[in-house]
Amino acid sequence: MQVVVELFGIARARAGVGQTTAVGDCLGDVLADLAARFPPLAESCIAGRTLRSGFLANLGGKRFVTAPDTPLADGDTVLLLPLDAGG
Amino acid sequence: MASPLPGYHGCLLRIYLSTGVSEQVALDETLLRSTIGGSGLGVELLLREGAAETDPLSPDASIAFVFSPLVGSPLTTSAKFAVVSKSPLTGRINDSLASSGFALAGKKTGHDAIVLTGRAPRLSILVIDEGVVRLESAERYRGLSTRETERRLRENLGSEFQTATVGPAGERQVLFATISHDGRHAGRGGSGAVLGSKNIKAIAVRGTVRPHWAEPAALVELARKFSEKSFGPATAKYRELGTASNLLTFNRLHVLPTRNFQQGSFAGAEAISPEQISVARERTRSSCMACTIGCEHLYGLQNGTGSVRLEYENLFALGPLCGIDDPEVILAASRLCDDLGLDTISAGGTIAFAMECVERGLLDEPWLKFGDGASLLQSLDSIATGDGLGQLLAQGSRRMAHAIGHDSIDFAPQVKGLEIPGYDPRGLQTMALGFAVGSRGADHNRSGAYEVDFSTAVDRCNVGPESAHLAVETEDKAALMDSLILCKFLRGVFTDFFAESAEILRLVTGWDVTGNELRETAGRIVTNKKRFNIRAGWTPDEDTLPPRMLRQALPDDPRAALSKESLGGLIRAYNLARGWSADGWI
Ligand code: SF4
Repeated sequence: MQVVVELFGIARARAGVGQTTAVGDCLGDVLADLAARFPPLAESCIAGRTLRSGFLANLGGKRFVTAPDTPLADGDTVLLLPLDAGG
Repeated sequence: MASPLPGYHGCLLRIYLSTGVSEQVALDETLLRSTIGGSGLGVELLLREGAAETDPLSPDASIAFVFSPLVGSPLTTSAKFAVVSKSPLTGRINDSLASSGFALAGKKTGHDAIVLTGRAPRLSILVIDEGVVRLESAERYRGLSTRETERRLRENLGSEFQTATVGPAGERQVLFATISHDGRHAGRGGSGAVLGSKNIKAIAVRGTVRPHWAEPAALVELARKFSEKSFGPATAKYRELGTASNLLTFNRLHVLPTRNFQQGSFAGAEAISPEQISVARERTRSSCMACTIGCEHLYGLQNGTGSVRLEYENLFALGPLCGIDDPEVILAASRLCDDLGLDTISAGGTIAFAMECVERGLLDEPWLKFGDGASLLQSLDSIATGDGLGQLLAQGSRRMAHAIGHDSIDFAPQVKGLEIPGYDPRGLQTMALGFAVGSRGADHNRSGAYEVDFSTAVDRCNVGPESAHLAVETEDKAALMDSLILCKFLRGVFTDFFAESAEILRLVTGWDVTGNELRETAGRIVTNKKRFNIRAGWTPDEDTLPPRMLRQALPDDPRAALSKESLGGLIRAYNLARGWSADGWI
């Protein structure tokens, strides 16, 4: 599966891009793919196939998810964002 | 004389401004342990003063500047104080927090709180030099900006004085005027108007009295650990990007209030994002006193007239909320608010409301249009001068709606009179609950319920009563942080917030306090705020949101819909979770 990944806040700053694509059947696969391609992103936001504390994923702007086995469909959009909304 | 109670002086300073007379009043340990300091202590003091039943702008009203046991300690972000009064904007409790040298110097005057009552005979500077109080004429500071007043006061009194200042807005008693300290503001609810009504242009404090700590060596070690953690990932967002980095996230989730909450996303968001603004401008970082996080990001104005602190709330309120997509206008408007001493959220909210009234033909001010930067700047100026529409704008959106009529209250962006901050409640429904029940009105600082919406715990667009206890938890944490006082941006570094807070307080005061005791204390502080509001005239029907938000989904996210019934269910669940009656009586 190929998914679109949108990055926000620190995730964007670390990856150096606001949007990219990634492959995987589930969230864990996608995170692993991103970690391999964007080492600074991995260092701050991704530990193996999971998100580091302080970060969340969201599917299509609708549902927050963290479980690595969350299934994804071709063409899904995954947002990576900081957990902390306050300010 | 050193206080026997570690962390505290064990007394407050009450000043009768009408006569200039002052007195020290003892604060006993039972009171301090049950309220801690900051907001908790301030609300209790105000209740005892009878402030709930008093017109907040009358001479009889009291306003309290309240420190905390942690002020002056080595703990990061602890140089804070609370300004507590009845709000002239809402008629309900108002506790505003600010960080600055005023907290350190104010506590070093030898008092845990300074309570002002009465009205100075003429515009004055209140000088508290250790325990000695005097009023000086402020005639030469009349009409000056907060920034210029602070600068001249330091020049005239000496740099060791720390100041709390009102700008032209406070002098004119604009209902959402702020009190400024080192450029930070006790911002919401109009505490600047209360000080202005007392004919006080500024308070200048200086002192040398320091309380001792119960376990100084262990406290220093704990503070070192917290400082270390504050350099870690939990605060990276604040350190590296500042709070303004919320903008694009909120825009993507359609919860960025746009054009007076008529939409949840803004076409110009990318252009005004901090990521974009920093490309063409100098950006510097700064911090409040005694803070190791440093979330302040300042951006240079292109006209070379200096730099401006940009935070999410001023960015959203003076940008998308008013339809403005020009970063230079937003920065200039932010700076103007700082100088005039205006709360940016209420200023932006009230002006955005007026813009919609013009659009709907309810207000004959054709120059005032969404997206028009010049009209935003002109409106802000007029609020401080009282010229033209400024008279009406200075009252805030609720009073303005009542003056305009035609059911415009339907879309006035306020709860209890306080303008809603930058979170559209329809798409963040635990936050909607937090706004509706908030003791000082729609407020993201007293309820961190957006944390629940930004989690896997709930569906943020379809929240059920089970989220009520999560809202209670975030409100309790905020009440404790505001009483200890620590910056909320530190919250991510705690693993077990109540237990670790208890350990901090134990090292400062020597009390055998536990996490459970602090949980109870936090709940009691929230209930005390409700008690104040009930005495001030609160009724259950004011715990709500603007009617339009309960009738119309967000046009750009139809899932983001909230009904009166669903909000009512959340409120009932919240009230019961608090141990109050279902409709909120205590
Ligand atoms: S994190 Fe920001 S708001 Fe909090 S004390 Fe530090 S500089 Fe001030």
